[in-house]
Amino acid sequence: MTLSGHSDVTIVQVDVVVVGGGSAGSTAAIFAQQALPRGRVLLLEKANIKRSGAIAIGMDGLNNAVIPGHATPEQYVKEITMANDGIVNQRALLAYAENSFAMLQELDRWGVKFQKTETGDFDVKKVHHNGNYVLPMPEGYDLKRILTRRIKQAGVKVVNRVMATRLLLDGERVIGVIGFDTRDGGIQVIYANAVILCCGASGRLGLPASGYLYGTYENPANAGDGYSLAYHAGAELTGIECFQINPLIKDYNGPACAYVTGPFGGHTVNARGHRFIESDYWSGHMMLEFYRELHSENGPVFLKLDHLAPETLLEIERVLHRTERPSRGRFHAGRAQSYATDLVEMHISEIGLCSGHSASGVWVNERGETTVRGLYAAGDMACVPHNYLLGALVYGRICAEQALAYLADQPPPAPRPEHAEQIEAERLRVLAPLSRPNGIPHHQYEYKVRRLVNDYLQPPKSGYRLELALGYLERAEQELTEVGAENPHDLMRVMECHFIRDCAEMAARASLYRTESRWGLYHYRQDYPELDDDRWRVHVNLKKSAQGAMHLLERPVAPYVVPLGAEELRSYHRLRISPEARSIAALGARV
Amino acid sequence: MSELRDREQAKALQARSVGAAQTTRRFDVPVVVDASKCITGCRVCIESCPVDCLAVDVATGKAHMRHDECWYCLACEIDCPKDAITVKMPFLLR
Repeated sequence: MTLSGHSDVTIVQVDVVVVGGGSAGSTAAIFAQQALPRGRVLLLEKANIKRSGAIAIGMDGLNNAVIPGHATPEQYVKEITMANDGIVNQRALLAYAENSFAMLQELDRWGVKFQKTETGDFDVKKVHHNGNYVLPMPEGYDLKRILTRRIKQAGVKVVNRVMATRLLLDGERVIGVIGFDTRDGGIQVIYANAVILCCGASGRLGLPASGYLYGTYENPANAGDGYSLAYHAGAELTGIECFQINPLIKDYNGPACAYVTGPFGGHTVNARGHRFIESDYWSGHMMLEFYRELHSENGPVFLKLDHLAPETLLEIERVLHRTERPSRGRFHAGRAQSYATDLVEMHISEIGLCSGHSASGVWVNERGETTVRGLYAAGDMACVPHNYLLGALVYGRICAEQALAYLADQPPPAPRPEHAEQIEAERLRVLAPLSRPNGIPHHQYEYKVRRLVNDYLQPPKSGYRLELALGYLERAEQELTEVGAENPHDLMRVMECHFIRDCAEMAARASLYRTESRWGLYHYRQDYPELDDDRWRVHVNLKKSAQGAMHLLERPVAPYVVPLGAEELRSYHRLRISPEARSIAALGARV
Repeated sequence: MSELRDREQAKALQARSVGAAQTTRRFDVPVVVDASKCITGCRVCIESCPVDCLAVDVATGKAHMRHDECWYCLACEIDCPKDAITVKMPFLLR
C-alpha cells in the first residue's frame, strides 16, 4: 500500500497486533495465533523478544499463584482488596484468580520449572499479610526463552526494534499502530482489527537516587509507552495516583529480595537490628512503615540474612545471583560484602506507574477491554491491582480471546484518506527531532523532567508542590520542541521523553485530584493525611478530552462479589510491630 | 547601576534566542568487550540488549557499548557465545 505516498512509510495489514513482547504480550500473541491458525498475528517489540520486558532475565517466583489446596480465588480477591484499600474492580481480580492455576499448569507443560515438594506438590510460601500465594521458581531464568520458543512454534510474525508512538483511529475505534524502526528510522504503520497493548510499566518516571537515568527498578525500556499510547487514543486510565514505590537494595536499585529470602528466614530490620513490620509483602502500607523507619533515628533499613546457615545462603545466592537481576552478586562483591557477614542496606525506589505492583494503569474490565473499541491492554500497564507476572500472562490470554471474539464481528479496517492525515501528522511529529541535530540532547531533557518528578511528585505529596509540578511540566511540554536527535536510536529516546512527560502530568493531576491519603505511602498527602471513605471510595480516572486537555473523572467501586467486613478491609493498616510486642517477643526469645 | 541593568536586560533577551552550542565528554561504561574473542559480524549481544545500547564499532568490526544506557541486566554477557563480554556495575552505583 502507498497510502501515505512517502517512501519511508511501510504499511501492513494484520488481524491482531500486540504491542510489546514481554510476558503479557508474548502470551497474548501465542494464544491469538493458536486460535487463529490462518490469521495474521503481529507482535511488535521495541527491543528483541528474546530479552525484553520486565523479566528479560527471567523471574525467581510467582508472587500471586492461586493454587487449589493453598488458596481459593475468593481468598485472593479479599487479600488484594485489602492490600489495595478497597479500590478495586473485584470482577477483574476474580477473573485473574479463577484462571491463575490453569495458566500455571500451562507454564508447567511448557517446561517452566516451579519449586515442588518431595510429594510433587507446588511448594507454596507465605509472603502476603494473610494468605499463601508465592511459588518459587529457582530456575526461572529460562522463562523468557521458553516464551520466545512458543511464539516461534505458534507462527507469530515478530517485528523487533520498532517502537509504537501513536495508535491509529477510525472515529472512536482503534484500527492500528503507528511507530518507527529504531535502527533505520523508517515509519511503520500496522492496520489491525484489534490492538492489544502490553507495553509494561512507566518505569522511567522518577529519578533513582543514584542519578543514573537507566538504573531504574523497572527495565528502562518500559518508559510508559502504553500509558501514553492509550491516553492519546482517548482511553481512560485509573489509579494513577497510586504510585509504584518499592523497597530495594540501595544504589543497586533492584529487589533484595524479601519474597525469595523470607521463606528461608530473611527479614527486614532497622539499624538497631529490630524488626518493625509484620509482612514484607509490597503494599503501600508496608512502604509507609518502611519510609518512616528509613527516615527515623533508627534508619536506615536492612535485609537481614547473616543469621542464616551457610548452605541456606548458598541456596539464596543460587536464586538471587542467577535470575531476575543476576548482577546483584557482583554488586555486593564489588563492595566486598556478603550475606553471611553484612546486612544488605536498603532504600526506597523512585516512583513509577505499574499495576503489576500497585494499581496505576489503563482502565480495563474482566475481559481486558479498555474504554476504546478495538483496544485491549494487559500486564503491568493495565489496571488489575497487584497483578504481577502471572497476572500478565493470564490477562494476555484473556485479551487474546476477547480480541478474537471482537474481530469475528468486525469488518477489517478499510484505509481512508483521514487515516493518511493521521499517519502524515505522526510522521512529521516523530521525525521532527532529526531536523534538530543540535537540539537539546535527550538525556539532559530526561534528567530534568525526572528530577522534577522527584522534587514535586514523590510522596509525601502536597497540593502546593503538585500545582508547581503542573506548571513545570507545562513548560517541559514546550521544551520538547527543542529536543533533537542525530540518529534513530536517539530518536527512540526523544520519543520516550514524550511518554515520560505525559506520565508525569498524569501522576501530578491524579494526585492533586484525590484530596485524601490512601494506599500508605503510594498516595500520602500531607495536606490531607486521613483516608476518607465517605468521599473517596471511588476510582479516579483520567482521559484526554475532545479539546485535548487532561480530564479527571470518577467511577464508583462496583459492588463486591466477595464481601469484606470494615475491620477486615483495614488489615493492611496494621503492619507495624509495636515496641511492646517487640519487647515481649524478645523476652520470649530469651526465655 | 542603570547601565548594568540595561546590559543585563539586553543579554537576558539575547540568551533566549542565541541558538545552541555543544561539547562532548567521555563516559566510563559498564559493558567491556574482549575484541580478541568477539566474532566479527556476530551481533548476538547487540540483538539481546533490551535498551539497544550496544553496536558494532565501525573501526574494529567488533561489538562495543555505544550509548551510556545500560541496565546491567547481563543479557549480552549471558548470550555471548564466546564469553567475550564482562558487565561491570555502572560507576555511579559501584
